[in-house]
Amino acid sequence: MATAGAGPLIGPGARKERPFRWMAGERPSASCYLDERTFRLCCQLFLQHSVTIQDGWSWEEIKVADEGFMRKTVLIPVRSDTSHHQDVCSVHTGNTESLTEELQADVEDEAAGVQSVCESPVVLRYEYHVVYSSSYQIPVLYFRVSTLDGRSLSLEEVWSNVHPNYRQRLRQEPWDTLTQQEHPLLGQPFFMLHPCRTEEFMKPALDLAQTQHKRLNYIVTWLSVVGPVVGLDVPLSYITAVSAPD
Amino acid sequence: MADDKDVLRDVWFGRIPACFTLSPDEITEREAEPYYLLLPRVSYLTLVTDKVKKHFLKVMKAEDVEEIWFEYEGSPLKWHFPTGMLFDLHASNTALPWNITVHFKNFPEHELLHCASNSVIEAHFMSCIKEADALKHKSQVINDMQKKDHKQLWMGLQNDKFDQFWAMNRKLMEYPTEEGGFRYIPFRIYQTMSERPFIQKLFRPVSPEGNQLTLGDLLKELFPAAICVEDEPKRYQVIIHGIEPLLETPIQWLSEHLSHPDNFLHISIIPAPSD
Repeated sequence: MATAGAGPLIGPGARKERPFRWMAGERPSASCYLDERTFRLCCQLFLQHSVTIQDGWSWEEIKVADEGFMRKTVLIPVRSDTSHHQDVCSVHTGNTESLTEELQADVEDEAAGVQSVCESPVVLRYEYHVVYSSSYQIPVLYFRVSTLDGRSLSLEEVWSNVHPNYRQRLRQEPWDTLTQQEHPLLGQPFFMLHPCRTEEFMKPALDLAQTQHKRLNYIVTWLSVVGPVVGLDVPLSYITAVSAPD
Repeated sequence: MADDKDVLRDVWFGRIPACFTLSPDEITEREAEPYYLLLPRVSYLTLVTDKVKKHFLKVMKAEDVEEIWFEYEGSPLKWHFPTGMLFDLHASNTALPWNITVHFKNFPEHELLHCASNSVIEAHFMSCIKEADALKHKSQVINDMQKKDHKQLWMGLQNDKFDQFWAMNRKLMEYPTEEGGFRYIPFRIYQTMSERPFIQKLFRPVSPEGNQLTLGDLLKELFPAAICVEDEPKRYQVIIHGIEPLLETPIQWLSEHLSHPDNFLHISIIPAPSD
């Protein structure tokens, strides 16, 4: 169910005609929004399961502000053909437009596991933060990437690391989807996946869940759609083990 | 609806005299003279400093030049905040001109956002406006605008065209009369004493009983220490566009008249001078 929601994110949409549209629909329906209390409760349930399967999520509390966020750090090996940093994180290099067919063929190989094709793997440190946006009343995914010796990756380098399947689509209007922004709670530069299209993929998922009388955990559904775009896997067990808060 | 045009003009044309000096760490071929500039309060540092950059590049070798960044008394200046707010927060109560140090090396990756081109500033500016409209009108006004309308807002700011900007921005300042104000007020409270970049919460301009809420009401809820207690010395100054508005001022009026072009009310809270 959650992965089915990935369709609108990369599929053909009304993006070209209305590139600056923030939300996809007309008047957004209330069901796509999450109040801060529900956000916390969803995160709590998410974190309980994380403890069980030991995949490393934790809650970081900002003491003075009585706010917090969910955090995970992962080491991700990427293929490297050369030691030059421009190429360190390139799954593919070159012009994606002209490589369309080649990419299509490669996607299946990629799905089988990028790591397995690494000749000399370089390890990158990905730090993911799930932060609540009170303005949009939805969760937002922030992340930063560095090498093991502490060098931060640039936006360009991060782009080249986005899975080709997503990259091709997102590239067309990069400023709309993946940008460098200040972390609202830490005040440090992070990359952020724009929340502008959250409703587009959350609404079908939530509507379907409602008709089937399932109690979806917002965070699980949302993260399983946006996470993979930037290399974050959400194990399938979350879908079955974690439900919505009471 | 914003009708006090004099206030809007005063806010738009607010300027800060600044003196830019090249950091002594930079390698130059000959001595770099300081550069003086009047900075528009409502704009962004990296949007108005092309001349500053050109001025210093004249005395530097290309290989010694990386991305430009600015610093005031040891603090890197965050270009993505409006310039006037940076001055209010870091340099209120100091002598003018504002002394800013220019760097072309050692970009503070962990503190500043990169700003490779004006399109980065445009994207940041539009994303702030969209966030503000999400708060004010559930994004309905900004979504009903066309791409050229968004461009008009940006071009108005970029080219310092008050009329061009406000012809479009007034739509973002409308609200249903019966509601007495926006859904929520887009504001951010900054303080130098905190690691946290700013405080931002949901705050309505009208109480459930229908009363207009004031700047004082906002502070009472989010920064009570800024409210003076009788007979005690004043501890903090609350500054917007270089002035200390009366705490009795309705927050809705402030939002319509003293917001920056990004549609946020940027409020700086600084320790009161001790003398």
